[in-house]
Amino acid sequence: MNYPLFKLTLGVIATVGLYTVLWKENKFYRFWEHAFLGLAAGWSLVALWTESLKSVWWDKMVGVTAEGGGVDTPGFWPYVLLLPIGLMGYFVFSKKHNWLSRVPIGIIIGLWSGQQVQVWWNRYGPQINGTLKPILPTGDGFFVPDTTGMTPEEAAAVAGNLYVSQAITNLIFIATVLCVLSYFLFSFDFKNRFIRGMTVSGRWLLMVGFGAIFGSTVMMRFTLLIDRMYFVWIEWLRDTVLRIGG
Amino acid sequence: METPVTPPAMGFAEKLMSVKRHTLYLLLIVATSVPTFFSITLPNKPDQPSIDFFTTVMALPEGSTILIETDWTKSTRGDSMGQMQALLRILMRHNIKFAIYSTADPAAPQVARDTIGRVSEERRAKGERPYVRWEDWVDLGYFPNSEATNNAIATNIRKAFAGKTEVPGVGQPATDVFRSPVLSHIQKVGDMPLLLVVTASKTFDIIVERLYGKVPLAAMVTGVMGPESTVYYASGQMVGLCVGLKGALDIERMMESGVNNPPDKPVVVNKKNPEVVPGFPGDDNEGNGKAYYPTLHLALTLMILAVIIGNIGMVLTRKGAKS
Repeated sequence: MNYPLFKLTLGVIATVGLYTVLWKENKFYRFWEHAFLGLAAGWSLVALWTESLKSVWWDKMVGVTAEGGGVDTPGFWPYVLLLPIGLMGYFVFSKKHNWLSRVPIGIIIGLWSGQQVQVWWNRYGPQINGTLKPILPTGDGFFVPDTTGMTPEEAAAVAGNLYVSQAITNLIFIATVLCVLSYFLFSFDFKNRFIRGMTVSGRWLLMVGFGAIFGSTVMMRFTLLIDRMYFVWIEWLRDTVLRIGG
Repeated sequence: METPVTPPAMGFAEKLMSVKRHTLYLLLIVATSVPTFFSITLPNKPDQPSIDFFTTVMALPEGSTILIETDWTKSTRGDSMGQMQALLRILMRHNIKFAIYSTADPAAPQVARDTIGRVSEERRAKGERPYVRWEDWVDLGYFPNSEATNNAIATNIRKAFAGKTEVPGVGQPATDVFRSPVLSHIQKVGDMPLLLVVTASKTFDIIVERLYGKVPLAAMVTGVMGPESTVYYASGQMVGLCVGLKGALDIERMMESGVNNPPDKPVVVNKKNPEVVPGFPGDDNEGNGKAYYPTLHLALTLMILAVIIGNIGMVLTRKGAKS
């Protein structure tokens, strides 16, 4: 058996092993589950060193030797101070000295907190801005004209107008935002029927949104199953074992 | 002696309600297996976010360098691999250089390297120039803290990836990646025309938080992430967005037909921009998008039928109980 076939066959056995849980809990499934966990943990440990810590921390601390034996990059010893700070995190397991673990946690929280104003604005600022949509049409006609065959200037003129269909879309968008926001105003007792109607609409619109999210999730889970089936039937059986495709 | 009590025979409604889950699993496996053997083309109209993604990538200047954050592994291969393959095919056909890094999963860099290798091998098999590490692309590795890494990239990309080395060729020593043809001209992240994230995790949000405004951003996300990602596209924080299997299929479709092409009778129309973007007609454009899409339809049909049958059974049972 050549290496690619061996590798794919092992993958197929693992796939089948993990899917046997659909029938019932069994030792074959457990074996592959543990094998996966062990492999993932081992891989992570090695990758953390080879992909990240060695170049980002170790090499910078001890320096890099040139081909001829001289110094390529000199070491920077203060990097060693990061080690005890990092190790302090493990004192969380000690009843007597667990206060030490708060030092690295404090540093991380401090750095993280300091970034939050900019981070929040970067994330939500443009979205708040994008919510302020025009609702009064400026263009002639109901629908946006087809820009096929237009010059870039003509197309830009079309893009600069707001057509009735776009205005309706924007109105629905803004109404949805306001209804959903009003749903989350828990601090007031709404007696006004209009506001109460908005909050109820907000709840319904949220449900529609959750439905769309759930639909996307289901679709993606199916895609993962389809991919596994494709791996088993096409990549392994048809293209590798039977060699009649690809 | 007691006579054994025979349970009352199940009615039609109860039978509908009590289909064994193993039967449903078996049906699902059959439904997701059989169509994979056939090449079926379903009609598909690319979404505007996908069109923007495609036109953005196609407009990248030849020879330029982009940064790709690749944060997917085998667990989302169904969605992400088709997307990444389509993206790499476009980049390689346009001679776009790229540097990859990961912040979500330690396995992500290896999965990305394998995918790049496969697409490069495709090119070699067709007699085209394969993509060479160091010359055409570099791997910057895995960084366990996405927030800090992307913050560092925003502040000083050279310091963020300082110390990262690649081997330029056989027998040569490991050399600083910023001496490679890929990154030698990059001083800050804004020197790149695009930062792309292919992700199955929340690193997508972190990219926006840390890098929005510093460099144009575009993303390829899984189907689950579609609704939450669309807000970034709608607000203009992302210049293009490719969502799930449909996104992969959209890109494959546009690779074949182009956008606004041919101008007199375009197959895919970009409502935002009339510029003609030719694709790669007749080239090897099909991938997982086309291969999986019909199967997805059958699987979804099966699920919808199961939901309808279950509900009919429930309604009939309730009616029976009332009467």
